[in-house]
Amino acid sequence: MLSRAQEKLLAKVQKPARYTGGELNSVVKNKAEVKLRYAFCFPDSYEIGMSHLGMKILYSLVNERADAWCERAFAPWEDMEALLRENRMPLYALESGDALSEFDMIGFTLQYELSYSNVLNMLDLGGVPIRSADRTDLTPIVVGGGPCACNPEPMADFFDIFLPGEGEEVTNELIDLLIAHKEKGSDKLSFLREAAKIEGVYVPAFYDVSYHADGTIEAVTPKETAPATVKKRIISDLDSVYYPEKFVVPFIDIVHDRAVAEVFRGCIRGCRFCQAGFIYRPIREKSSDTVNRQAKCLCDSTGYDEVSLCSLSTSDYTGIESLIPKMFQWALPEKINVALPSLRVDNFSEELMEELKKVRKSGLTFAPEAGTQRLRDAINKNVTEEEVLKTSAQAFRGGWTSVKLYFMMGLPTETLEDIAGIAELAQKVVNEFYKNPDKPKGKGVTVSISVASFVPKPFTPFQWEPQDTMEQLVEKQKHLIENVHTHKIQVSWHQSRTSFLEGVFARGDRKLCNVIESAWRKGCKFDGWDEYFLFDKWMEAFEENGIDPAFYSNRRRDFSEILPWDHLDYGIRKAFLEEENKKAHESVTTPHCRQKCAACGAAKLNGGHCDAK
Amino acid sequence: MQNDIRIFFTKTGMAKYISHLDLMRCMSRAFKRAQIPLWFTEGFNPHLFMTFARPLSLGQESLCEVVDVRLVGEMTFKELQTRMNAALPQDITVVSVQKPVHKPSEIAVAEYEIKLFSDSPDALCDCIKSGFAAPQITVLKKAKQGRKKIEKEIDIKPNVLSFKITVQDTYVLLHVSLTAGDQNNINPTLLLSALTNGFPSEIENTEILKTKILLENGEQFC
Ligand code: SF4
Repeated sequence: MLSRAQEKLLAKVQKPARYTGGELNSVVKNKAEVKLRYAFCFPDSYEIGMSHLGMKILYSLVNERADAWCERAFAPWEDMEALLRENRMPLYALESGDALSEFDMIGFTLQYELSYSNVLNMLDLGGVPIRSADRTDLTPIVVGGGPCACNPEPMADFFDIFLPGEGEEVTNELIDLLIAHKEKGSDKLSFLREAAKIEGVYVPAFYDVSYHADGTIEAVTPKETAPATVKKRIISDLDSVYYPEKFVVPFIDIVHDRAVAEVFRGCIRGCRFCQAGFIYRPIREKSSDTVNRQAKCLCDSTGYDEVSLCSLSTSDYTGIESLIPKMFQWALPEKINVALPSLRVDNFSEELMEELKKVRKSGLTFAPEAGTQRLRDAINKNVTEEEVLKTSAQAFRGGWTSVKLYFMMGLPTETLEDIAGIAELAQKVVNEFYKNPDKPKGKGVTVSISVASFVPKPFTPFQWEPQDTMEQLVEKQKHLIENVHTHKIQVSWHQSRTSFLEGVFARGDRKLCNVIESAWRKGCKFDGWDEYFLFDKWMEAFEENGIDPAFYSNRRRDFSEILPWDHLDYGIRKAFLEEENKKAHESVTTPHCRQKCAACGAAKLNGGHCDAK
Repeated sequence: MQNDIRIFFTKTGMAKYISHLDLMRCMSRAFKRAQIPLWFTEGFNPHLFMTFARPLSLGQESLCEVVDVRLVGEMTFKELQTRMNAALPQDITVVSVQKPVHKPSEIAVAEYEIKLFSDSPDALCDCIKSGFAAPQITVLKKAKQGRKKIEKEIDIKPNVLSFKITVQDTYVLLHVSLTAGDQNNINPTLLLSALTNGFPSEIENTEILKTKILLENGEQFC
């Protein structure tokens, strides 16, 4: 419930429904009747945060408990932030309208590095001191999870706890512990000491980091009750793990406004550039009955007319052939669209294509990632040119007239020849269209190529590699454009400056905490949004703190170097990553996990079990 | 035509911040959750057939919103209402379901209850009263001249059919009845901006509640 003063602000902002709460399926409890209040914060706009599956899971999971109440907060848009600051009103959680400072636990999901400045901004707006050391009371405890928690070091000074790995079980354990400590009137240090003993709980303040003169890490030393390495938590059985029966249904249009059914975690592919492909291992699948039931249940409770299947590579799901007919049985009569994202070229069968044609036509996308077979082998992207062309031809016969191809630029071992290869591959796809004898009359073809800048990430075989400098990337972009000879091919790419900053934080250490604070004080926020990104302010912040960002992004690390995330254990063996790195430099591929287990090490997190083995 | 039904609903509280476009989506999802057998348009991309009379402006509340749909299965009006209310968000409530009697184009008048919160409600009340008493109430209204969009000065005094104004402890309470036909619909915000134009201090909050929609002859629209 919002106060009249809060409502008054709403009359003056764009899209006020971002800030009202009251959406269908949002949960309102009596705060006097719960023992713990949890604010789940997404450090980006409402539209992006509300599209995020992890948030929906944790929101419902915590609200299942009678003794806790989970609410939501998002980064307010600049108009709302200005009004809040002008009127000296705190950022509030949507369900109760209460300031973040009133909560016992404040959880942030760290989905991408460029949202770090928003975390600081939200804490500050919510009336919470940004640094862990300045929050001396037992509550609020500030917790961070999500993929960036695999190297949370640049944010170490701001968080009390990080949760590497999957949150469903450990969140409840932490809540139990905090409730117990609140009840006995305990203090923050005692709580953190107990918390650090829970598997999968990382208390950054309990580790001392020392550095060599050249800036690399000398040692990471645990203290208090902290273990030498923190092992990420995983859920062993996805068929029995909690999954929400309801999603909060926003009033305004959000990025992914639909029901989502999760089909599996992990990925069998082992693409060497892809962090998600490593940090979510081992592979665990849900049965097709579970997926079908959860999808139907969500559609019923939300009224959505679209449901998507979510995983890193949905067509690798072993239950896909049995799942799709099951879902179509109820979805088609109810006019519900079943969306299948991230389909792979290599097992996009004719039958699947036929099924898909029954529903609305969406764009067809492929991700060859690199322009030549040599480079695709180096990054272990198991897609051949022949497959791309064959599938495009198939799609064109099926009536599609546009194809989108995703590539990366700045990959390790990449040369200008590989860049030209991107344009050549796109041209061959265009040619396939014109080979089709019954192509639709009067219709041309559009092949869009979207080029992302490669950012080396922790826990991948490329974690030691230098990232291309901005100058190198600009040169490659030019080269690509010079090799495109038709308007039927449209090229777009990500800003190399944002990728540069992303690269700095992805493999950064604790020395960056001060930089992030300085940049935020200079007004940096929403760094992932081109219109807000203040590159020069960031450079000033590095300079003022005596930090050279190139040390993090453009430097090749030695295999023997202690990496800032080495004390976090994601199951993946470092020696395995090193082998994969060496194979990349020899353009040697590794078969996917169902062909042959590469002994990555992650199965040890699951009692030696991996669904792909 | 016999399966057409008219649903009256309220849109109050936080729901006033739902724009018309978002309301349409919200309603169609509620129909789906409630499993009301409704008619969809035919064609490649079928969508729910649904018409709203006189969409409300963002930020205003209403006790008398109307949506017309077409039922294609058996369901009593009572059942439909109960199901919809279970499926709708908290601040949108179906108050009645009936067969349509009038055409939406017959709507001629809308009544509003308006609260204007201010530190000096008495002064504000006087200001508004003198505004009403003036020979003209001129406002700038967006209009079209051929293809061009222009702003036009118009006198909306004739569009104010009646009003009653009183001072409560912290606010001014205004009841006003305005023309609301296809051609002469007046947004109360427009009227208020003209009436409070000369008021020196800030108006803290304005709450606008649409209470009734009527025909030319003063009968309820139903
Ligand atoms: S344990 Fe083997 S099969 Fe499972 S993810 Fe690792 S390499 Fe692949």
